[in-house]
Amino acid sequence: MTMTPIAIPKRTQSARLENWSRAFYRFRQSWLSIVGLAIVVLLVVIAIFAPWIVPYPEHVVGGTNTAARFQAPSTDAWFGTNALGQDMFSLVLVGSQVSLFSGLAVVFIAIVVGTAVGAIAGYFGGWVDEVLMRITDLLLTIPSLILAMAVAAALGTGVWNMIIAISITWWPAYARLVRGEVIVKKEEQFVVAAHALGANWLRILGKHILPNIVSPIVIKASLDMGFAILTVASLGFVGIGVKPPTPEWGTLLSGARSYMPDYWWTAVAPGIAIFLAVLAFNLLGDGLRDVLDPKARR
Amino acid sequence: MLLYILRRLVLLVPILLGLTLLLFIVARILPGDPVGLAAGPNATPELIAQMKREFGLDQPLPLQYWNYLTGLVSGDWGMSVFTRRPVFADILEYLPATIELVFASLFIAVVAGIPLGLLTAVYKNGPLDYATRTLALGGIAMPRFFLGLLLQMAFAAWLDILPLSGRYPLIESPPDHVTGLYTIDALIAGDWSAFQIALSHLALPAIAMALSPLATIMRMMRSSTIEVLQQDYVMTERALGLSNRLILFKYVLKNAMTSTLTVIGLYVSWLLGGTVLVETVFDWPGLGLYATQAILTQDFMPVIGVTLVIAIIYLVAMLVVDLLYGVFNPKVRYA
Amino acid sequence: MALLDIKNLNLAMRSYEGETQILHGIDLKIDHGEIWGMVGETGSGKSLTGLSVSRLIASPPGRYLAGSIEFQGRDVLKATDKEMRILRGRHIGMIFQDPTTNLNPAFRIGTQLVDVALHAGHADPSVLGLEAGASRGDFKKAAKRVAVEMLEKVGIPKAAERINDYPHQFSGGMRQRVLIAMAMIGKPDLLIADEPTTALDVSVQAQILRLIHDLVAERNIGVLLITHNLGIVAQICSHVAVMYRGRILEAGKVNDVLKRPSHSYTQALLNSVPTVHTKRGELMGLSGAMRETSA
Repeated sequence: MTMTPIAIPKRTQSARLENWSRAFYRFRQSWLSIVGLAIVVLLVVIAIFAPWIVPYPEHVVGGTNTAARFQAPSTDAWFGTNALGQDMFSLVLVGSQVSLFSGLAVVFIAIVVGTAVGAIAGYFGGWVDEVLMRITDLLLTIPSLILAMAVAAALGTGVWNMIIAISITWWPAYARLVRGEVIVKKEEQFVVAAHALGANWLRILGKHILPNIVSPIVIKASLDMGFAILTVASLGFVGIGVKPPTPEWGTLLSGARSYMPDYWWTAVAPGIAIFLAVLAFNLLGDGLRDVLDPKARR
Repeated sequence: MLLYILRRLVLLVPILLGLTLLLFIVARILPGDPVGLAAGPNATPELIAQMKREFGLDQPLPLQYWNYLTGLVSGDWGMSVFTRRPVFADILEYLPATIELVFASLFIAVVAGIPLGLLTAVYKNGPLDYATRTLALGGIAMPRFFLGLLLQMAFAAWLDILPLSGRYPLIESPPDHVTGLYTIDALIAGDWSAFQIALSHLALPAIAMALSPLATIMRMMRSSTIEVLQQDYVMTERALGLSNRLILFKYVLKNAMTSTLTVIGLYVSWLLGGTVLVETVFDWPGLGLYATQAILTQDFMPVIGVTLVIAIIYLVAMLVVDLLYGVFNPKVRYA
Repeated sequence: MALLDIKNLNLAMRSYEGETQILHGIDLKIDHGEIWGMVGETGSGKSLTGLSVSRLIASPPGRYLAGSIEFQGRDVLKATDKEMRILRGRHIGMIFQDPTTNLNPAFRIGTQLVDVALHAGHADPSVLGLEAGASRGDFKKAAKRVAVEMLEKVGIPKAAERINDYPHQFSGGMRQRVLIAMAMIGKPDLLIADEPTTALDVSVQAQILRLIHDLVAERNIGVLLITHNLGIVAQICSHVAVMYRGRILEAGKVNDVLKRPSHSYTQALLNSVPTVHTKRGELMGLSGAMRETSA
C-alpha cells in the first residue's frame, strides 16, 4: 500500500497536431470512407478536365453522328453510342459537371439560408422563432421532390433555375438543425460571458455560437451532397431542369428509356454514374461523421 | 387517448390552411402560362381571355384564394387545364393506385428490414452482416428510377416473368371497385387469378421503391438493437434463464422499435414524393404520374391538389407514428 | 458436497491492449444457509466472480485459464448451453445493482415475472406446484398466480393490481423488490446479489437487506452478496471473503475476519470505514495501483 510516482510521458506532438492525426486515423480505420474519398476526388478531377479528356468533344456540345447510332460498347466507344450516334462515354464524363456543380450549389445555398433562418430563430426565440419555424415546418410537410419539380418547371429550364428550385425545398432541414444547436449553445457559459462583456447579437452568433456548431452542419452537408446529386438527376429524369445538348445524367437516362432493353448501354452508363457519385458522397459523409462526431459511431 | 387524437386532428386545420396559402402564393408568383399552353400556339387573344374567365383567373388574387378555399371544403378543387376535368375527380381516380404502391413498398421494407436488422445486430461482423450492410449502402445510393429500369430489363425483358409496366392489362377489367386497391379488391372478390395479375404488376415498382427504406430501416434497426443488447435488463433476462429467442424477438425487439418507428414515419413522405419517379418509369396510373404531367404542362391546380393530398397523408402518418410510440414505449403519455 | 465450490478460478479478459488476467486462483465454498459477503474495491474482480458462476461472461472477450466452478457437484464451466439455461433462473437467481435499468421498461412487470416463472416451471414443474405434463394453460395460470404471490412476499402492496404496471410506475426501492421477486420466483438454491442496495437510499437499503435476509432464512439457500460496504457485511453476512486485485486475500466467518483480520489489506479496509467518531481529517484512504501494470 504505497504511493508510487507515476511517470507522465513527454508529449512529442502538439495537441492540435495530435487531434488531426487521431481524426485522420479514425477516418482511415474504415476503408469504405477511403474508397468514397477516392471516387469523389476522381469525380472532381473528371468534372474539371472533362472538356479536354473526352474522346469526342464535338458530341458534348450537340454534335451528332447518325451513321454510328446505337453502337454497342467497343474500344471506339467504351459505353456505346446513343440514338444520335453520340459517344456515351464522353456524355457521361461531361455530365459530372452539372451534377457536381448543382449538388454543391444546392447544399451551399441551403446551408446559407438555413443557417441564417435557424440561427435567428434559435437566438431570438419568441414570436420570431414561432413565425420562422411555422414556415419551415410547412415546407417540411410538402414532399420536396414534387415542390422542387413544380418550381423548376415554372421557372423554366436552366441549371440555375433547377438549383434555386431544389434549394427552396432543402433549407428548412438546415434551419431546424441549426436552431436546435443554437438554442443549446446559447445557454453555455462562454456565450453568457460574451453577452456580459457587451457583445451584440451579430457578434455573439457569428463569433461565438456558429463556429461551435460547424461539425453537425458539415456532417449533414457531406451526407446531403449525394442526395442533392440524386435530386438533380431525378429532375432531369422526369424532363425538368437541364435541356440537351448539355449532358446531364438524369436526362441521359430518361432519353435512354425508350430504347430499353435492346440498347441497354445507353441507360446503364449514366445510371451507374449517378449510383457511384451518390455512393461515394455517402461513404465520405459516413467517414466524416466518424471523425467529427465519434459518439455517433456505431 | 381519443381526446388526444381529436386534438391532433383539429391542429391539422391551421397547418393545412397555411399550406394552401403557401402553395397558392408559390403557384401565383411563379412565371408560367398554363392557359397559353392549354390553348395551343394558334389561340387568339380572345380565346385566351375567355379561358381565363372560365377558370376564374381574371379575378384579384385574394378573391381567387378565397374561392379556392371555399371550393376545397365543398369538394371543388379547381379544374385541370390539361385534362379538362375537376381536380378532385382526377385525384380520387389516381389516389388508390398510389396508396397501393406506397403501402406495398412500405410493407416490403418493414417486413424485411426489421428482422434483418435484428439478425445482423446479433451476428454482428458475421458474413450475413457484411452482405446486408454492403447491400444497404448500395440500396441507399441507388436511384429509384434507375433501379426500376434495371428491374424492368431483368424481369420483364430478359426473364419475361413479370409485366413491363402498367397496373392491370388494358384489355381486361380490374376487380370490382371496393377500396380501389386492386390486390385488396381481388381478395375481397375472391378472384385468385385477378389477385395474381394485380400482384405481378405491383411487384417491380414496389420493389424499386422499397429498396432504400428497407436499407435505412435495417441500418436503424441494427444500430438500435446493438444498443438495446447492451442494456442491463438484457443481462438480467439472460441471468434468469430466458431463451435467446424470447429475449431477442420479444424483449429486445419492442425496445429497439422506437427509433426505427421515426424512420418509418419519415419514409412515408419520401415514398409519396418518389411516386413521381417510379410511376413515370412503370406507367403506374397514380398521383405521381398525374402530378408529373401537370407539372410539365404548368397546370397548377392539380399540383396544389396532389401536394395537399400527400401532405394530409403525411400528417396522418405522423399522427399514427406518434400513437404507435405509445405502444412501444409505455412512458409516453398522451396529454 | 458444497452447494457452490469454486476451485482455483483463473479468468483472463481480452481488450484492445491484449489479454489481461483478471482473476488469480479464486477459491470459494458456499453451503446452504450461508450468506457470503464478498468485499473489495471497484475492479477487484468481485462482479466477474459472480457472473462466472452463472457463466454470463461471453468468450471472447473472457477466457478461463484454469479452475472449476462446481454447482451442486457439476462444473458449470463444462456444462452445455442448455444445462446452463436450466441452472439460470431455476437454480441460480441473480440480482444486479441498479433497479432502474435492470427491469425492461417496455413491458409490464407481470410479463417479465411470468416469463421467468414459466422458464423455471418448464425446467421443474414443481416450482409452480404442477405435475410434469400439465397443459400450457395450467402453466400460464400457475405462473401468474406464483408471480402475484411472489410480489406479495417481497412486500409490494396490492400485488394483484400492480402486476399490470410498468417499471417506471414504481419507485427505486419497489423496483429492487420486483427484481428480487424475479430472482426468487424460480425457487433457486443460490442467490447472487451484485451490489443490490448501492443505488438505493439508505433507509430503503435496510429494508431490502432485511428482505433478502428473511427470504434466505426461510428457504435455507446460499447467498453470494457482492458489495463494497463492510457495514452491510457486518449486518447480514455469515461469512466474508476479501478480494484485492483478482485474489481472495482472506475468507472465513464474519466474526473471525472482521474482528481479527490477519491480512494488512483487510485491516486497512476496516480502518477506511468512517464512523461517527471519525474526526475531520482522519478519514483514511487506500493507496496503491488497482492492478498490476504488467500481468
